[in-house]
Amino acid sequence: MSQPASLNARYRTTVDALQGALDAGNEAAFRQAFEQLREGMSAEFMPELKRITASAQEALRRFREETRLDALAANEVPDARKRLAHVVKLTEEAAHRTLDLVERSGPIVDQAARDAADLLEAWSAYPHRDGVGGSLWPERAHAFLERAVKDTDEVRGNLSEMLLAQGYQDLTGQITRGVIALVGELETMLGHLVRLSNGDETMRSLRALPAPVNDLSRGIGPTVPGVQDGGSVNDQDDIDALLKSFGG
Amino acid sequence: MSNTMKILVVDDFSTMRRIVKNLLQELGYSDITEADDGNTALPLLKAGSFEFLITDWNMPGMPGLDLLKAVRADAKLAKLPVMMLTAEAKREQIIEAAQAGVSGYVIKPFTAQTLKEKIDKILATKVAA
Repeated sequence: MSQPASLNARYRTTVDALQGALDAGNEAAFRQAFEQLREGMSAEFMPELKRITASAQEALRRFREETRLDALAANEVPDARKRLAHVVKLTEEAAHRTLDLVERSGPIVDQAARDAADLLEAWSAYPHRDGVGGSLWPERAHAFLERAVKDTDEVRGNLSEMLLAQGYQDLTGQITRGVIALVGELETMLGHLVRLSNGDETMRSLRALPAPVNDLSRGIGPTVPGVQDGGSVNDQDDIDALLKSFGG
Repeated sequence: MSNTMKILVVDDFSTMRRIVKNLLQELGYSDITEADDGNTALPLLKAGSFEFLITDWNMPGMPGLDLLKAVRADAKLAKLPVMMLTAEAKREQIIEAAQAGVSGYVIKPFTAQTLKEKIDKILATKVAA
């Protein structure tokens, strides 16, 4: 059946009735004919509308099942917040540790500088042994050198601890890289979701999305409290005990 | 053991390499080379005469565990002392490293004292062997 013939079959009678009622100024008849037309169109389009709705719902259901959306929403995004909170904690602790060590070292260096200046001042009197300051110079010099040995040891120790405190950058860097990867995955998924809603995405392409790698052999980064921390050792002693059981 | 021991430090974070290098220098070791993952470390190991390897685990390219396995599989490098210095803390991973022949395992964050003790222990074991 050609398109015009089909249109004729579907709408001619109703359109004629509309035209007739309009020409006759019969509002009741016009409304009745219009209602017939509307019902006919609804009956024609409803199945198609239902089919499109069901298809969209099915696509969304499969999108959730096949793209880890539920896992991301339920676990990994909350985990990412915990990871970032842990990064804040680690950086804060490292900053405080470093500042504590700077504050502990400063007075030691200041005192040594004052003592050295006093000693230098007394030095000018020493060769002539004239006055108390001069005659006591060897004793003061000896005491100063003893303190210097102790103080430089302490400052050296503080510098070593400051050095170690910078290890936070490695740990927070690894954690942050994991969160960057998660954000990248979310971005890709949201892009697919937008295209899916526009109707130009297929489930086949979604299935091709790579699953994230969580491979212990490649390494998963530092343990974050409250985030998949089961099966982790507590400290170096745990590791030593574990290695010992392997003859290490 | 002489402090001229040639050491390779492998970590993808330059900050951690600097920290380990500084600590080793404080312990008296001066011949220290750096690499940023297993892929860059392995050719250095094969070409050089390194006596000690300190490696991270989680690195792009070749991770530390694969580097350890490659070292143990290489006839010339098989007996090289290898210390893992890593944040990886799963029991399963530590067991895997032990089975792959790791000489020592230090968890990050670590102390200078722990690093020294583990290096000394590995070297003492090597001398005794």
